[in-house]
Amino acid sequence: MQSMSRDRGPSHGDHLRRQAAPGGLIAPTLKERRSATQAPPMKPILAAKRRRHLHPFFFQMGPVALCVTSVLLIGLMAVLYLSQVGQAVSANQQLQDVRTQQATLQRQDQDLLDTIAQERSPASIAQQAKDMGLVPSDPKNVQVLVVQHLQPIKKSDQSIEP
Amino acid sequence: MNTALRRARNRQMFIFLLVCFSMAALLGRLYYWQILQSQGGYQLAQRANNEHVQNQTVNAPRGLIYDSNGQLLATNVVRDDVYIEPHQFSVDHLDSESTQTDLQNLVHALHQVLPDISEELLNKAFNSGQASVRIAGPIDPTQSQKLHALRLPDTFLLPRTWRIYPGSDLAAQILGYVQGEQGMYGIERTYNKLLAGKPGSVTAETDLNGNPLSVGASSAQPAVKGADLTLTIDSFVQYMVQTALSDSVKTMEAQGGTVVVINARTGAVVAMAGDPTFDPNNYGSSVDKRGCLGAVEAYFNPALYCEYEPGSVMKAVTMAAALDQGLITPDTAFNDPGYISFKDADTVTNWENKGYGMETMTGVLTHSANVGAAYVAHNILGPDRYYPYVQRFGFGQKTGIDTLESSGQYSTNKSAGWTPTDLTRQAFGQAISATPLQVAMAYQAIANGGSMMRPYLVAGINDNGHVTTIVPQFLRQVVSARTSALLTGMLVSAADKNQQATIPGYSVAVKTGTATTQGISDDQTEASIAGFLPASNPQFVILVKLDRPQATIYGGTAAAPLWRAIAQQLMWHYGIPPDRP
Repeated sequence: MQSMSRDRGPSHGDHLRRQAAPGGLIAPTLKERRSATQAPPMKPILAAKRRRHLHPFFFQMGPVALCVTSVLLIGLMAVLYLSQVGQAVSANQQLQDVRTQQATLQRQDQDLLDTIAQERSPASIAQQAKDMGLVPSDPKNVQVLVVQHLQPIKKSDQSIEP
Repeated sequence: MNTALRRARNRQMFIFLLVCFSMAALLGRLYYWQILQSQGGYQLAQRANNEHVQNQTVNAPRGLIYDSNGQLLATNVVRDDVYIEPHQFSVDHLDSESTQTDLQNLVHALHQVLPDISEELLNKAFNSGQASVRIAGPIDPTQSQKLHALRLPDTFLLPRTWRIYPGSDLAAQILGYVQGEQGMYGIERTYNKLLAGKPGSVTAETDLNGNPLSVGASSAQPAVKGADLTLTIDSFVQYMVQTALSDSVKTMEAQGGTVVVINARTGAVVAMAGDPTFDPNNYGSSVDKRGCLGAVEAYFNPALYCEYEPGSVMKAVTMAAALDQGLITPDTAFNDPGYISFKDADTVTNWENKGYGMETMTGVLTHSANVGAAYVAHNILGPDRYYPYVQRFGFGQKTGIDTLESSGQYSTNKSAGWTPTDLTRQAFGQAISATPLQVAMAYQAIANGGSMMRPYLVAGINDNGHVTTIVPQFLRQVVSARTSALLTGMLVSAADKNQQATIPGYSVAVKTGTATTQGISDDQTEASIAGFLPASNPQFVILVKLDRPQATIYGGTAAAPLWRAIAQQLMWHYGIPPDRP
């Protein structure tokens, strides 16, 4: 092949290039370029080695397949993210509901404490006693009874209580 | 390269440069809006944050106030205020044909729940065009529940915390009240910083409803609850004292009155009442009420602010000064013709110019003789031996109680304008002004073996688990224990003879007082009585003062019955056995 190309002599394009750059470097011909781009075939052992390497499959994918796969992956991640955010928002709403319930219960607790305090207040008890028909005791009606040598029972000494 | 190819390449380059230029322009614009305008100019970042990030203040719950038995005196409740949004209602019904119908339905529904607000008023409010109008508040919990359940449009409830006093006017002048976030008068004011706590804050991204999101960035500073206070006041004694005082003021046709009950050993205030008083749950309605003979608003505690001339109760102080210095004994006698003249002072007379002949110092107290008191102060003590005792008994200075008070005043021989007449008059409680608490504390010193304690109202502070207990504080030794015992005997003897404040089974040491005011008619008196019981082992000091009683003007007849009733109730309530079986 090489001897045949030598026998043919220089092509018309070659003639033009050689003439365009006198005194300069001579540019390679088109044929020479084509032949130069053709890599020599790999040796079998090296080819086998290369096949055993774990090349990611998409390096061998075409552009269309790559785009479709990318879109699918991005969509999947987006769905996952939105799902997580949705759960978080839902949990937040539940949290708000619980907090609202807590605030309501706290209000009720305060109201009950206030109610108890009002019921236990002296004015309320006096009014309830009055409503039941009771009257305040008159100091003039109180008589003091003196018991000689009386020993009061201590609160802690329950064994001798009557 | 041929021309066609060159042209193709030039076109490609042109398009490329055009795209690059456009991208550069976009980037520049992006930089302008994202960076420059974000932080400066329109403050876009700030405005965006304002839309989504809110900083909410978390109010701290105000501390509670209890009495000595754990009874709640002051607490907090949340009540809703009702708002309507007239402007939003108009916007929601711009092109609606049923505007009037919807309005009437809404007004009717509101009126059903809030009957105090007329439909006419509600219609007027809805037609006002304002962004929001408060139509009611605070409403009770039942009404809040109904409104929540109805979910009325263009209506919302705004919760607000209110200070509530379950006992109504119980110890009102001791507690004071809260206006907004500030305590006014009394304990609420004095301990406002402790009670208020510290507000917190929450900065967080919010959702459409303004609720903070837990998923976004947030920071929180928790609120610190206010400290709880426990007072020395006994609610039941306070109620009994207030009720009895109110009845006595009406019965004696007085302009007002004051009662102070002190623990004789510790100085703790068991009860302190004034008439007129007010309801701190509705303090606005008492704004025109005046106490202290019209001198101050009814919000002031008269026991701490109403200075008055104590009158004859001061004679115990005069006797104490002379006894303590060994200048007299209870049996020291002198002649009392009903008047006494001095070379350098005005003549002093007894009430109604009564003369008692030869009488002892005990007799001076029994008869409440001005002549005897002036004789002791002027002729026996003199100003240099009298005024130090007046000062040691706490007159002319604050008692040190843990709330605001007046100090009273009197002039001494070192004051400008003083004359010996002041001395003779001060001996029986004129020309000297004191608060009821000062007089009560003077008798507390006498009751406690001559030891004066600092009066106090707050027994304990619970600051979020950190408990501080207030212990009784000894102030000074006013007179010796011997003097205290002698004077107590004199007072008991006087009380037994007069029988005005005695109660069966108990020995009482009391002195009455009927003070007049210069320039005012003699029938306008400050009738008072001060003393302690049981005299053999004093537990309580009680002072009763009635302002200008008309039914009877004397301390022994106007104030003593009230003193006796309170004393007897105290003995029952605390189960103190009689010391005179």
